[in-house]
Amino acid sequence: MTAARILVVDDAATIRMYHRKLLGDAGWQTDEAINGLEAVEKVIAAGAQRPFDLYVVDVNMPKLDGYGFVRELRRLPASQQAPVMMVSTEAQLQDASTAQDAGANCYLVKPTRPAELVLTAALLLGDAEAAALAAAAHPIAGVAR
Amino acid sequence: MNTSNEILEQFVLEARECLEAIGQRLLDIERRPDAPDLLNDLFRSVHTLKGNCGLFEFEALEHVVHAGEDLLDQVRAGRLTYNTAMADALFAAMDHSAELIDAIAAHGQLPDGAMARSRELARALRGCLEGRDAPAAARPAGANAPALPAPPAAPAAAALPDWATALPAGWQPQARPGYCVVRYRPEPECFFKGEDPWQTAQLTPGLLALQVLQPAAWGPLEAFDCYRCQVGFLILSSSPEAYLQEHFRYVPEQCEIATLPAEAAAPQLGDAHQQLLGQRLAQLWSDQIAVLQRPVPTGGTVAAAHQVLLNLLGVRSGLQGADGAALVEARTGMPGDEAGASALASWARQHHPLGPVAGDAPAAPRGISAAAMPGASVPDENGAERGGHKVLKVAQDKIDRLMDLIGEMVVAKNALPYLAQRAETHFRQRELAREIKNQYAVINRIAEDMQHAIMQVRMLPVGTVFQRFGRLVRDLSKRLGKEVQLVIEGEDTEADKNVIESLADPLIHILRNSLDHGIETPEVRVAAGKPGHGTLRVSARQDGDRVVLDIRDDGAGVDTARVRAKAVERGLIPADRADALTEAEAAQLIFLPGFSTAESISDLSGRGVGMDVVRSAVERVNGQVQLHSVRGQGTTLTLTLPLSMAVTHVMMIRSAGCRFGVPMDLIVETVRVPAEDIHRFKAAQTVVLRGRIVPLRSLNELLGMDEPQTLNTEREHAVLVLRWGGEPVGLVVDEFDGTSDIILRPLEGVLGGMTGFAGSALMGDGSVLMILNPKELL
Repeated sequence: MTAARILVVDDAATIRMYHRKLLGDAGWQTDEAINGLEAVEKVIAAGAQRPFDLYVVDVNMPKLDGYGFVRELRRLPASQQAPVMMVSTEAQLQDASTAQDAGANCYLVKPTRPAELVLTAALLLGDAEAAALAAAAHPIAGVAR
Repeated sequence: MNTSNEILEQFVLEARECLEAIGQRLLDIERRPDAPDLLNDLFRSVHTLKGNCGLFEFEALEHVVHAGEDLLDQVRAGRLTYNTAMADALFAAMDHSAELIDAIAAHGQLPDGAMARSRELARALRGCLEGRDAPAAARPAGANAPALPAPPAAPAAAALPDWATALPAGWQPQARPGYCVVRYRPEPECFFKGEDPWQTAQLTPGLLALQVLQPAAWGPLEAFDCYRCQVGFLILSSSPEAYLQEHFRYVPEQCEIATLPAEAAAPQLGDAHQQLLGQRLAQLWSDQIAVLQRPVPTGGTVAAAHQVLLNLLGVRSGLQGADGAALVEARTGMPGDEAGASALASWARQHHPLGPVAGDAPAAPRGISAAAMPGASVPDENGAERGGHKVLKVAQDKIDRLMDLIGEMVVAKNALPYLAQRAETHFRQRELAREIKNQYAVINRIAEDMQHAIMQVRMLPVGTVFQRFGRLVRDLSKRLGKEVQLVIEGEDTEADKNVIESLADPLIHILRNSLDHGIETPEVRVAAGKPGHGTLRVSARQDGDRVVLDIRDDGAGVDTARVRAKAVERGLIPADRADALTEAEAAQLIFLPGFSTAESISDLSGRGVGMDVVRSAVERVNGQVQLHSVRGQGTTLTLTLPLSMAVTHVMMIRSAGCRFGVPMDLIVETVRVPAEDIHRFKAAQTVVLRGRIVPLRSLNELLGMDEPQTLNTEREHAVLVLRWGGEPVGLVVDEFDGTSDIILRPLEGVLGGMTGFAGSALMGDGSVLMILNPKELL
């Protein structure tokens, strides 16, 4: 089985590097786009042959923001559909709700704990082993919520 | 640790970019306060900076940036009106942030006591919120900022058999990825086959730990048969599986060997982790249901949510222990099998029959308008590299090295014409000489292209220097009580990095001068019938191989009477000559060293370092400064600079038997002047060229050589007409000797103090060419 492919979309280079490092260390392949527009182009370029398996998307970006990207993505053929994890500093409820309307599968608030990001990615990807590893690495404080 | 450093470096780099963008936007907004796109840009930069801070524990930095973000968010949402007080608070906050970033770049951490200043600035920013409380924003940054890095390792390769996962508790610290676990269960009759299980187990290569596995029940003592083996062994070994297979080769059917996968010791989840996993699983499951229940999910959304539901089911079925699964079930009513998820998805599909889900459905990108997505309309089948500029960031010294190398190459190629000449004159090889010349032409062309290409890499828009002006003008004019509008034009004009960097200080000095001496206070301006606010215009344009910068103010202009008086007072010029000067010439006096007209020494300019500093800085990069001033209307300073200063094009000349170089960019023309056409008036010589009187100077005389300039056979003098302070001057030499590209090396050591020479250059034939500096000579 080939490693899952994840597209990291964020206008902040530091965040891109950070997310790619975390996800790459978890054994997945990563690629990046610096805004929604470039992300759509990458998705289309990837085509049906090697579609991405997960999108990790920032909200506030120039040209086309995260919501816009997901909306465009969800209009593409089914072969390119994959779970979308939105990651943003906006902690308001309406943001999560906008994300759902756009078609995002989950919404994380930055800054993300490494284990949290990887665990969520693993669950969205259906990668049980990675999920178990991430859960084990998770600092357990705050579990009982 | 390395990765963490790498990310930190990236953080510093991006933070600086953000701060620069923020500073620029703040100024733009002051000029166009009603432009929402500017505010959005500004907000995004602050937002990015804050988001990045969150990755590290830079609490003091995040604290202040966060406050800025909150303020801007309110402004962006239209709940607050942007004002100067906010701008000042934001500027102060960004200055502080820049200092913190510098500290981070230098020491990898924040300086002690940074928090106090951050709090103060943050309070100022929040003060702009006008009593609006922002409790959510006040959350301490460090509270949930993860420390870098804690990367989880690669996923396990193959699932381990049950017996290998449940290792004895004491083994965990030793169990590493790639180590093997062996379960060795000798058959009961083994003792009769010459086997010694205990010995075999103990001799296991790389043995780290050994545990004896007892039978489930020993049975009644009376029935115990000491010749039957009832125990087994569990062995942890650091050897590869192949070694163990070799070791146990006589009893392979009694052995099971498993290699520990990467971090395999970990998945033995504790209860708390199990619970966490279940909790997140449940959370995501209900998220998907929520997504499916949104008013109008598109086909793609339903497909993706369905996919996630199936994935979650897959993970759940793999959960070790019933606890997690039960928890999930209890919390969400998550169905036990895949049919459930499919049913859910199809429910959603029926409920919202809008979007096609099937893979072959004609779900063309309907909503994507061509306008919104330039380039997206041409999908590339191969997914090959396409679209957009890829920008590569390269360390500057690498480019400098390239530049040095191409410089060497340009010089080295110049050896070929000499070689051709020698082949012809010395060895009588005309054919060979021609071939060498042909080859030279080819190499010359490639070298020139290459030089050009490398120079392009070093080109920067002059706007990079202009960026800091906005802030400078804003702060200074405020302090001086003047109203000044800065207009910048042609900031995209490009020039070599070194030229641009050398510009920064002179330009700032010029701006200060204009603000301090040029532009008047509003009252004076209004009294003079001018608009109350002054305009300072900085424009750049390319003119041939030069960059021309104009700095124009609409201020009072140079007070020539005062300049004259000052120059005389300082003994820079005799009084009678000062009076004889034209207005334009008098204005030039401000370039004299040690000239300063400021009556009170302000902290802006007029500290005794006047415009002569500007001029020498500009001339150092082979540039020129010109001043044009109209009393009461303003002053224009024009800086003319070369695009690049790496390779100098020189004309070679001969005089008194020596060869010299003169920079091409100073030469207007070369002429031959019949000796009888030269007019002598006392010691001065002149010649009339195209109806214009051009003063002549003899090079031999200037260099202090006791020889008259020689004439050619037609009794003509060779004259280089040079540009000198806007006027042509003729330099009489013996002979012209062609042109060459050279790399100018400044004179060092004992020669360093020599005036009249710009430097020296190594020629292709190994000789040294002295390059004249006509400005010093004349």
